[in-house]
Amino acid sequence: MTANRFRNRVCASLCAILLTCGAGMTCVAAAGPSDAGDEEAHVPAPATFDLTDPARIAVGRRRFDKICAAYCHGKEGVGGRAPDFKGRKDLPDEDAYKTIFYGRRNADVMPPWGEAFTSDQIWELVAYIKFLGTQ
Amino acid sequence: MKASSRKNFGVTPAAAMLAGAILSAFIATPAAAQTKPGFEDPNNWPEYHRTGNAWRFSPLTQINKDNVKKLKVAWIHQPGNITHGLQATPIEIDGVLYYVSANNNVWAVDAASGKTLWNYAPKLAPIVGQVFYGAASRGVTVGRGKVFLGTLDGRFVAIDQKTGKEVWSTQLTDPKTQYGALFSAPPQLAGNILFGGTTGGDQPIAGKIYAVNADTGKAAWTFDVIKNDPKSWPGGSGKVGGGSAWMPGTYDAKSDTIYIGTSNAAPDYYNYDRKGDNLYTASLLALDPKTGKVKWHRQEVPHDSWDYDSAYEALVVQKDGKDVIVHLNKGGFVFVMDKKDGKLENVWQFAEHMNWVKGIDPKTGALIDPVYPEIDKTKTFCPNLLGARSWNHGAYNPGTGLWYSHAMEVCNEVVAGKDDPDNLKAVSALSLGIESIKLVSPPNDKPYGRLDARDPITGKRKWTIRYDMPPLSSVLTTAGGLVITGDMEGHVFAYDADDGKQLWTFSAGSGLRGGPISYSVNGKQYIVVPTGLGSHAPGFLSGAYPQIKDLPGGAALIAFTLE
Repeated sequence: MTANRFRNRVCASLCAILLTCGAGMTCVAAAGPSDAGDEEAHVPAPATFDLTDPARIAVGRRRFDKICAAYCHGKEGVGGRAPDFKGRKDLPDEDAYKTIFYGRRNADVMPPWGEAFTSDQIWELVAYIKFLGTQ
Repeated sequence: MKASSRKNFGVTPAAAMLAGAILSAFIATPAAAQTKPGFEDPNNWPEYHRTGNAWRFSPLTQINKDNVKKLKVAWIHQPGNITHGLQATPIEIDGVLYYVSANNNVWAVDAASGKTLWNYAPKLAPIVGQVFYGAASRGVTVGRGKVFLGTLDGRFVAIDQKTGKEVWSTQLTDPKTQYGALFSAPPQLAGNILFGGTTGGDQPIAGKIYAVNADTGKAAWTFDVIKNDPKSWPGGSGKVGGGSAWMPGTYDAKSDTIYIGTSNAAPDYYNYDRKGDNLYTASLLALDPKTGKVKWHRQEVPHDSWDYDSAYEALVVQKDGKDVIVHLNKGGFVFVMDKKDGKLENVWQFAEHMNWVKGIDPKTGALIDPVYPEIDKTKTFCPNLLGARSWNHGAYNPGTGLWYSHAMEVCNEVVAGKDDPDNLKAVSALSLGIESIKLVSPPNDKPYGRLDARDPITGKRKWTIRYDMPPLSSVLTTAGGLVITGDMEGHVFAYDADDGKQLWTFSAGSGLRGGPISYSVNGKQYIVVPTGLGSHAPGFLSGAYPQIKDLPGGAALIAFTLE
């Protein structure tokens, strides 16, 4: 995805948040991607490895099991309030990356992991999620 | 949801008659004339559990088992933001209802009409966008002319009760260095002291309880949940030992004592680096409100290795003429102890599926043959990390002498593992000490939930209702002979407090996670139910219940009355 397209998407998210904040309702500044700072700085760096590399998938699986699955997405990505990852083939790589990076807030809360993990550590999680999609 | 069965357990006619007679006496007597425990200030819901004994009991009788089927919606208040639903227990005092919705929005509402009187929306530090326990709060506290709020960015705030304007704000935690430690529960009053603990039981921090002067916001004392004792915490392990006090405590004015429970120890399942009893985690604390010093403590889960917080409400009832505390923990046991010194009176098993110990000695509290998690081994533990019940509170009715509490029978498979430092960099990071975890059905059973009506001292069950999915609502009981609660799908239920018979139901459209209350304004009784499924718990449970994925979120405070 180009930086421009990404900016538009962030704008769309921000607009959606603003549109839901009507009179008599207060929105805090911590509602989603718009708060993650300068979006230009967070354009995903491309993965430095092949996302189908079994060794990277294994690293991603371990990280997923220790954190993501533990509370939110379920073992092997089955469970949680998000759609199952197992068997899922409609998740573009960069969308998965950005959701991990920024987190998400709707009815539920996914915290952002962008400041915790390196780009490749996030891509390893994406590699595992893509692998689950083939299962 | 299908409430699949209701069972009664040997109610003697004599006992039923006695309970009925007591109940009739309450109904016949004007509520305002009562001065017995639980009957103070009968028309209001002035604090989190209504009274300091944590009964969640309303003495009102206008709505009762004979007419509850005529309940109608009086008004609905919608805060507008549904993130993590509505988790609060509202407060109602003299015709004004106070509650908090997502992102610390505080509302004062006309309790008879639902009209907004004022709204306070704090400006929160941007770091709240990074925390794990985002958006949600379980309530506010009202007193001394102020509404008190614990914030998502680690402050206590006082708001003018009449105008909704901020009176003072005191920063207590450092969210950046304390993994976003925030106040998800309302701070409580003990005289002029306002106290409360933070999130962080599953995070690499050393938990604290904070206290300030309620009138000025000036810091009064801080209590370190992690005891400074190398035997309890070898090798400095206490620095990352968890031990938060994330639920509201209670204040007993008679003995001038704060009672507050504490969380599990961290890393949750990886106990190898903290070989000690890990005080004061998984404990009930009795604190002096003036100094914050421990009067007594009872650790219920020494060397906790299963995420078995002991942070829930300290129910106070009478046993043999003296006050005892009845205290459920996540591990599925109820500790009954003398209120004055914590001496054990009994320990009884609440969870049906329980395998982490063979039992607990009811005289000493010692764990009998605990089974610990291990690295490289998958072990199934019951209850799961959400507990034999989540934090949704039970209720006690003096008319029936029964304690009504939900339960969940779900287990988890765990492989212990040392936390990877790379995974602990985020503000939202959890220190679970695992290689993997999976919520699963109990051995040879389906997962399920319950509403139990039990003798709080002995645990003897009078009736139970079984649900496919464990309800996450707190329970309300009334002198009208009712038990009010609701499920994850948004069904609100009124049951007969004597036998559990369903008397009324209403479909709210989204699940219940907060605390129903009752009060009276201008001679009319209301039952107010927070609806809107929220918190991380439904997500965790969906490992065992795939259908949770499709349950809608929401946020609506619904008031019911008879006309």
